[in-house]
Amino acid sequence: MTTTDHILIVDDDPEICTLVSRFFEKNGFRVSAVTDGKGLWAILHQTTVDLIVLDLMLPDEDGLVLCRTLRASSNVPVIILSARGEDVDRIIGLEMGADDYLPKPFHPRELLARVRSVLRRTRGVPLPDKPGKGEEDVSYHFAGWVLDVPTRQLYSPQGEKIFLSGSEFAMLRIFLNFPNQVLSREQLLDYSYGKEGETYDRTIDMQVSRLRRRLKEDPKTPELIKTVRSLGYVLSARVEKNGGRA
Amino acid sequence: MTEDSEKMIVRIDCELEEIVPAYLENRRKDVVALSEMLEEEAFDAMRVLGHRMKGSGSGYGLDAISDIGNRLEQAAKDQSSADAAVCVAALDAYLGRITILYV
Repeated sequence: MTTTDHILIVDDDPEICTLVSRFFEKNGFRVSAVTDGKGLWAILHQTTVDLIVLDLMLPDEDGLVLCRTLRASSNVPVIILSARGEDVDRIIGLEMGADDYLPKPFHPRELLARVRSVLRRTRGVPLPDKPGKGEEDVSYHFAGWVLDVPTRQLYSPQGEKIFLSGSEFAMLRIFLNFPNQVLSREQLLDYSYGKEGETYDRTIDMQVSRLRRRLKEDPKTPELIKTVRSLGYVLSARVEKNGGRA
Repeated sequence: MTEDSEKMIVRIDCELEEIVPAYLENRRKDVVALSEMLEEEAFDAMRVLGHRMKGSGSGYGLDAISDIGNRLEQAAKDQSSADAAVCVAALDAYLGRITILYV
């Protein structure tokens, strides 16, 4: 993470925009703030954004639809910040491709911690017991699929480009680094969220479910990411890793 | 001195010192606007203000404003002028009592 990370806050309440902008600027971020979906697209066409903090109740577009549209064309991390704090809203938000969800009212320090955590994990922070140097140049080949780390692109066996959210990319890398090994939910939590993440086992289940869909798996009989009852998940495939520095 | 007139000290993160005064000033304007909305029974406008107060208050270190906003939003949804009036009075009283200490 650098001190010039660019955060885009999308919220129809100007006082939330002011709060987040001021707090994040004081903590070394560059911040843009817009109050609707139109403003979001305008910023994305003008400049590069490292992470989007997205309200759901916007005047011109539903935030969930925006999130899904974003995810179809971009892997910029998204944190939903919304007063719609029911469990179902969180689940739908994550299913739509958001990387995290923070209900309002919120404390700006918690939002800051979550932004840092999401940036860290979506940038593929090296896993424990794995070499860090050179890991950013690799591509993984498995069951006809290719995950190209430098471009963060996943290609299907038919050559179709599959967009992944930041958290989906990070989780797939974990599985690819530990093929044919059962990973518990706790391990997946540790590897993908570190110690700061306030994430739940259920979130891991949802992310695995989303990842299976990206990999076009039949949810009833997944072939690649299999559930190991009472233990966790395993990527069942031969994985070849190409590239990288020694 | 009654309890309502006693000052209340609220400790707020010093990183918010530059923006909290304007936020509080806007809430004082809300009290005036809400009183007019009450007269006009403009429940939708009250609901929007309540919703925003609920979402932003705690972020500025003012949990009571989030709480009042939450109750105001519900009162507006219920179209209850009596409940909304209680919230407006509570907001007015709170703004009159608090002293901010930046820590």
